[in-house]
Amino acid sequence: MQHEHNKSEDSEIRKWKRNLVGAWVFTFPIAVLMIFTRIFGIELMDEGWMILITLILGFPVIFIFGWHTIKYGLKGLFTFYFGMDSLIALGTVIAYLTGIFTFFNVVADYSGVAAMIMSIFITGKYIEAKARGRATKEIMKLLELGAKKARVLREKQEIEIDISELVVGDIVIVKPGEKIPTDGIVIKGESAVDESMVTGESLPVEKQKNSNVIGATINQDGILYVKTTKVGSDTFLAHIIKLVEEAQGTKVPIQALADKITSVFVPVILVVSFLTFSAWFYFSNDLSRALGVGISVLVIACPCSLGLAVPISLTVSSGIGAKKGILIRKGEAIQTMKKVKIIVFDKTGTLTKGKPEVREIFSKVKESYLLEIVGSVEKLSEHPLSKALVSKAELKKYKEVKSFKILRGRGVEGKIGNKKIVIGNSSLMKERNIPLKEFSRRIDEFEDKGYTTVIASENSKVLGIIGIADSTKEDSVLAISELNSQGYRTVMITGDNERTAMAIAKEVGIKEVIANVLPEEKAKKVEELQKQGMVAFVGDGINDAPALKQSNVGIAMGTGTDIAIEAGDLVLARGSLDGVVGAIKLSKATFSKIKQNLFWAFAYNIVAIPVAIAGLLHPVIAEIAMAASSITVVSNANLLRRKKI
Amino acid sequence: MKKLKLNIEGMHCASCVGNVKKSLMNVKGVKDANINLILKSGRVEAEDNVSLEEIKKAVSKIGYKVINITAE
Repeated sequence: MQHEHNKSEDSEIRKWKRNLVGAWVFTFPIAVLMIFTRIFGIELMDEGWMILITLILGFPVIFIFGWHTIKYGLKGLFTFYFGMDSLIALGTVIAYLTGIFTFFNVVADYSGVAAMIMSIFITGKYIEAKARGRATKEIMKLLELGAKKARVLREKQEIEIDISELVVGDIVIVKPGEKIPTDGIVIKGESAVDESMVTGESLPVEKQKNSNVIGATINQDGILYVKTTKVGSDTFLAHIIKLVEEAQGTKVPIQALADKITSVFVPVILVVSFLTFSAWFYFSNDLSRALGVGISVLVIACPCSLGLAVPISLTVSSGIGAKKGILIRKGEAIQTMKKVKIIVFDKTGTLTKGKPEVREIFSKVKESYLLEIVGSVEKLSEHPLSKALVSKAELKKYKEVKSFKILRGRGVEGKIGNKKIVIGNSSLMKERNIPLKEFSRRIDEFEDKGYTTVIASENSKVLGIIGIADSTKEDSVLAISELNSQGYRTVMITGDNERTAMAIAKEVGIKEVIANVLPEEKAKKVEELQKQGMVAFVGDGINDAPALKQSNVGIAMGTGTDIAIEAGDLVLARGSLDGVVGAIKLSKATFSKIKQNLFWAFAYNIVAIPVAIAGLLHPVIAEIAMAASSITVVSNANLLRRKKI
Repeated sequence: MKKLKLNIEGMHCASCVGNVKKSLMNVKGVKDANINLILKSGRVEAEDNVSLEEIKKAVSKIGYKVINITAE
């Protein structure tokens, strides 16, 4: 199916090209004749003969090479499905017929003009089709990115199968230089994998046993044995493609007016053209002149540039975005982004790597005892902090924990033997009246270092405190400083307490912190900020989906092999913060391109149509102007590519 | 309710897109039609009893061709 896409693109260009060559072969002699007689006033032959030759040469131009346009154009006139074709068909057929009527001395001959209009129209369409092909280049590449074959291990034999026959659980073998056929997990082997085509990550990613790999990425130097986890439409790549394709159908609010105008444009022009013709005929009593002006109005009007201005910009932009791992999910976000003043970052997994580790322990008891207690209780929780504690404790045997309870946003509790264990943050300790006084200096010290501090108590007596930190992403600092310098108000939101949060914010360069926020309160905090200005929220979409939705522009970050598609307006395929900067740049650049295109399209029609009505343009010049205007819009959108994202 | 994806041939300008959309929306049971000129594709949301033939006819009637139609 993906191949069909491309073939139809080529066949359309080929079709226009064939018609273009044919049309000009016959139009060229007409043009030469016209130049000699009309411009230099040299009579090569009798006027009657000349018109006859023009009619004969013009016939195939209009009715063979231009047949598609004539057929649908005229059909449209009768079925009221007007299109661009209707204008050209009417213009050329009327002009051609003047060549016949001229023998009855009713009107001057425009048949040569008819052939030229058709040839220029076809030429314009050919150039436009080519430019449109360029605009979809990146998207088409994405569609064809998937592997076609896979080498699988079945019954201990290596066989090559078609990708569609691959099933979940298959073991695929990927040799150096080969494409990894689908998403999976490495079970044997080590290698570096180039993931740039899918995530935009420019450096190769090291893979070993248990690493997740993404289909369509390229294995570089070692042999990998990969167990397939996702196939077909479930894969990472399939999700990206679907998202990019769907985004093409979304609307940018600014285009509403253009769409409205496009939908009534052709019938309005038909009426205007008829009125122009009538008025000219009435006032000048010159049928030939009136017809010429009427035809000019028909062929100069250009609904194409209006209708293409926005979607073509969106296409180019989603293509170049996808190449960098920036996926535009909703066209609307492009327009809203311009008004965003405040950017809120979720801390965990967004600014930080999302893999917290124990950094420092201060214990009143033997450290091994503390860790045994903590490890056993925390083992029962799935919280990232719990995981950090469990992995630090590295227990071989866990103690039995009874009446275990998770205290959301605060900690955990349980009983080991007859000892009551409470582990959590300082507010939990205060709540349980567990005295912290002798630890307060240590706790402050930990928090100043940006540690999330976990306090472990036994029978209401503190055993020790553990400092956990999640290292910030390498590109955080650079990205935040760039956003700050662009004048954005950057804010960090986190469940950590004020002191810890400030320390991390300082490390990455964020000045404002909203601390002590429970996960479910994030959306509310965003809502409060929205009273001060438009808010973009950056998060990983795992527990902050409501906040992503609440914000004016939700930027969802991918986490390696999963992407939070549903949650964001803009989606980043990889979890790096320079993607946020890129997404903002791309949105702004695209929106200004859209505005430019709409401006030119409107301006062209607003200026050109009255000039044609005034009778100042020859129909051939009018047609050249029309073709140029729609080509300009497409080419201008292609210029987006030059923007450094 | 079902969602269909079409590949359409022959559209070459913005008013073509409008025409295809209009013609599809006129099919009884079609709830929404989004046509993309650049990707030559369309997404149609329709009630289950709308047949693929009806959809194809709506497009071909006004001079364009459905070269592929798939349910999503």
